[in-house]
Amino acid sequence: MYDTQTCPKGREGGTLEAKQDTVAPKIQRPPHVGKVFGADVPHGIGGLGGATDGPIEEIHVFWLAGMSCDGCSVAVTGATSPSVEELLAGSIPGMPKLYLHHPVLSVDAGASFVEPFAQAVAGELGAPYVVVLEGSIPDDQAFEDEGYFSGLGVGSDWPESMDSPRADDQPLRVTDWIRWMAPGAAACVAIGTCATWGGVPAAAGNITGSMSLMDFLGKDYSSALGVPVVNVPGCSPVGDNFTEVVAAVLMFLQGSGPLPEFDELGRPAWQFGETVHRHCVRAGYYEEGTFAKQEGDQECLVDLGCWGPVVQCNITERGAINHMGGCMVAGGACIGCTMPGFPDKFSPFYKAPPGSFVSGGTTRVYGAAIKRLRRVTMHNRNREAIWDRSGEVPSAFSSESSKPSLGSKLEGFFYSKLQYRGSVNQAERSREQPNPRTRDIYRQADGEGEGEES
Amino acid sequence: MCFKNLPVEFDENGVAHLKEGVADPYSYEVTEVTPIEQDEAKLKKLLERNGHIRQVDFDPVTRVAGALAFHTVVDLESRQVLETDSMATLFRGYEVILKGRDPRDAIFISSRACGVCGGVHSTTSALALEMAFGIQPPPMGTVARNLLLSLEYLYDHPLHLFLLAGPDFSEPAVRETNPEIWEQAQRAPAAGKEVHGYSTIAEIMTAMTPLTGELYVEALHMTRVAREAYVLIGGKYPHPQTVIPGGISATIDLSDMNEIHLRIVKFFDYGQKVVAVYNDIVDFFYEVNPQYREIGRRPANLIETGQWDDPEAYDATFANVDDWARKRWAPPAVIRDGDLATKSMTALNMGVEEFVEHSFYEDWTDGGAGNGSYKFKEDPNGNPLPPNHPWNKETIPKPQGTNWKDKYSWSTSPRWDRTAMETGPYSRLWAAAVSDDYTKTRFIEPTGKSLKLNVPQGALPGKEYEWVVPTESWGAFERNRARAHAILYTALIAYDNLLIGLDMMRKGDTKVSTKYKMPKDFRVGAGFWGAGRGYLTHHLVMDKGVIENYQILTPSTWMASPKDPFGNPGPYEEAVHATPLLENFEKPEDYKGIDILRTIRSFDPCMPCTTHIHTENRVISRDVVTCACGVDEEHEH
Repeated sequence: MYDTQTCPKGREGGTLEAKQDTVAPKIQRPPHVGKVFGADVPHGIGGLGGATDGPIEEIHVFWLAGMSCDGCSVAVTGATSPSVEELLAGSIPGMPKLYLHHPVLSVDAGASFVEPFAQAVAGELGAPYVVVLEGSIPDDQAFEDEGYFSGLGVGSDWPESMDSPRADDQPLRVTDWIRWMAPGAAACVAIGTCATWGGVPAAAGNITGSMSLMDFLGKDYSSALGVPVVNVPGCSPVGDNFTEVVAAVLMFLQGSGPLPEFDELGRPAWQFGETVHRHCVRAGYYEEGTFAKQEGDQECLVDLGCWGPVVQCNITERGAINHMGGCMVAGGACIGCTMPGFPDKFSPFYKAPPGSFVSGGTTRVYGAAIKRLRRVTMHNRNREAIWDRSGEVPSAFSSESSKPSLGSKLEGFFYSKLQYRGSVNQAERSREQPNPRTRDIYRQADGEGEGEES
Repeated sequence: MCFKNLPVEFDENGVAHLKEGVADPYSYEVTEVTPIEQDEAKLKKLLERNGHIRQVDFDPVTRVAGALAFHTVVDLESRQVLETDSMATLFRGYEVILKGRDPRDAIFISSRACGVCGGVHSTTSALALEMAFGIQPPPMGTVARNLLLSLEYLYDHPLHLFLLAGPDFSEPAVRETNPEIWEQAQRAPAAGKEVHGYSTIAEIMTAMTPLTGELYVEALHMTRVAREAYVLIGGKYPHPQTVIPGGISATIDLSDMNEIHLRIVKFFDYGQKVVAVYNDIVDFFYEVNPQYREIGRRPANLIETGQWDDPEAYDATFANVDDWARKRWAPPAVIRDGDLATKSMTALNMGVEEFVEHSFYEDWTDGGAGNGSYKFKEDPNGNPLPPNHPWNKETIPKPQGTNWKDKYSWSTSPRWDRTAMETGPYSRLWAAAVSDDYTKTRFIEPTGKSLKLNVPQGALPGKEYEWVVPTESWGAFERNRARAHAILYTALIAYDNLLIGLDMMRKGDTKVSTKYKMPKDFRVGAGFWGAGRGYLTHHLVMDKGVIENYQILTPSTWMASPKDPFGNPGPYEEAVHATPLLENFEKPEDYKGIDILRTIRSFDPCMPCTTHIHTENRVISRDVVTCACGVDEEHEH
């Protein structure tokens, strides 16, 4: 549908341009506007150091925001393994020099910020680059005239050697940049569920025709290095998932790391291969058929609308920031925000997924039985052998009837028979163990009484 | 007097009503604006007079959240800004997506309007749903939300002060744009050395350098400390997983409270340091050149919704909104020209209008007349509402080319009493300083002219700080100074809420959510809350179990707004227009634009949620686009 190899002809006579040409002399623009650190400081941010002995000495990362909320950028500033400052300062051994061109973090503004983007389009950057997209792609390439849904720079920012797709004074579309930067990129990485799958801007009822980066570039796309679109989903994603992928890919390219594995949807396989339920701190409750009845309860959240058992995500294992938090860890039900179907295939939120009536119903039956059996075993395991011998727990916190019940004794007897079969019966040995002489020292003192205080 | 421009009066009992005898009270005439570039005679005259007229564009304005572009025409000889146009360059149509959905989806969907401050959208949405559903959270649920809000601000303010705005005051920027100031900074002793440890102003500037500066890296770290505490009960950030109608869905135990506690108190020391740093920077620039007071100056017109609900007072009803909103830790207020115009939430709400004359949308009101009929002529308490009010809003997107005379932004132009308002941590501090009929922490004391902050001891000894209402010079530097104080202010309110939460746990009052059944009848709701950068409202209309209309009005929509139909600029435009160009440059070719950038960034622009706005469920087709271009051509001829 679109010609991605060549640039379109510039639009002739955009309304403003035409007016300025005929009506009055054009006002000049100072050439260094926005370059507040001076012309000697490189564009973007970072590139402070890095290894020079690998095949890549320096690499540029162009961060573009489409139909975005900037939440992925914010998530990445929260990453700690590695952190953005570590990547940009070149403080990780073996990593190449990394320059980041990011609208939220870059020092330059305006045309100075956009200049290296144009160099990349024209193939004049002189170093390999990666395109990162945050936010979905709007359908504004389909507009036949001016207008845009997501803009970056103006027509005059386009490389001089090529015809600009927009009139000099009119906003370039983010989709213009993606369309002409993607073929020359070493890799295109989509971060967050909007860029990877479409996300909320592409949900039912949207009027912008939003789609994912993969949908826009299509199955025929592969980068200059032959890599299809890499996808790190999540709304917002775990910051570490993204910085870890960047680090892993760079380590691999530098010859010091294994080949990072991606699944059939371009996701990092080691991060998204498991369901979020498998590592959930509340999954044990599910197994025992015990479910939260109201928000704030500590049990499994499936009845409150949790989709965790069928969602590929690692937040319960990795945490949200610096290994802390995570949706169900805190008590929030999973709404499938890492999945291609998000949000519509998981709404209305707070309603139990229909499938849970089967799976949850099943665990309610067998889980309840297992839970009871475990409670008996746990009761026995919660007692030191010395307490079994003496028949009481030496804590004032302990309830009065701390002696094991007949049932517990019976269970203990048969359970230990099975447990120690083929090995040494430690329970038997424990029973023969003499009591320590100084046990219960204050009761001894009270009982003997004399001479202590009088 | 509350309203000067709207046709609304109050009787002796304080009940609002429309002025009598006015046929079409809210209608207005559109004042045409004439951009310099399109005014042949004016432009010719200017260019003949001197060769120093330049067009200075920032597309994009970086180091702000989201997509903002700024157009100016400057005279580099007289060092004045002649013209300004603020452009939001992104449209996503979130309200269309919300329309026709289950109302319960609103919290998670609307959170995605903004990834910088998603958590406040979640909560504002929950407040709107609670009003519509007629439910309220148990006290501990409100306390937990208050904690989340505080922690969000504690991440947000350092991010702005050192990652976004800070680099403009760092060594490389000052050396490049004002070398004479860098010279002086090396000799200028820093008054706050005891607290921040830097001997000279130059040392502070060096520490503000991106990536290599200690203050830059420390701020990045502190944003994580706040977010670590946030995710313990929020699940994740920026889009929390636990904010629900009727409270919060977090299992809060003593470990959570312990870890949050330890992180909040870190901000006592850090807040002291940031205040000392920004006091030194601001005072130094004023001393070097008093004209720095004029950078980004505009009239003190501020709007503040208030936030941090009193767990006992908040009942989620519109009938009582004036009462429970006054009991917040930060009270609602409108400040006009430095004076308190109103403290009432209903008055604040009835004065809000959104205009689209210079935005890529079609006007739905026929110049404020509302075609004689519009849905909500009154709010639920019987106060008059304008056709341009969010509850009545019906925006129709119209993507088209940029034209400074006509339409040039995806942001609308919100106005209160037809006046451009700014909002942010400073409106919060300002509102809290000039009144005292609200919930106060044991650590904060308003004096009418200032706000005293009694910071408990951390690693640094405890100390009293005072933020003085800057009525004399309201500009970019004061915005940053206020934001620095807002770290301490927020940490103190967070601490107060933590102590209240611990007390509730002690009493066994640990319920955090309310069971509810979603109503299927016609309901309206509104959430009034605040983002890190100020004012945030969600207005909801629902019927038959689906959302009929959902409107989000954000702080940066207020501030990044283009001109209104009366020809008045939005706050960024107004502030940049008043900015003297103090940058040191010899030839026009050397000009970098630091003063303009400092001005824009002082507002902490956050564009993602500025431009989501739309209600009319109309599919944009090429027909619409073509039609829009036709309009464009008309203007050309």
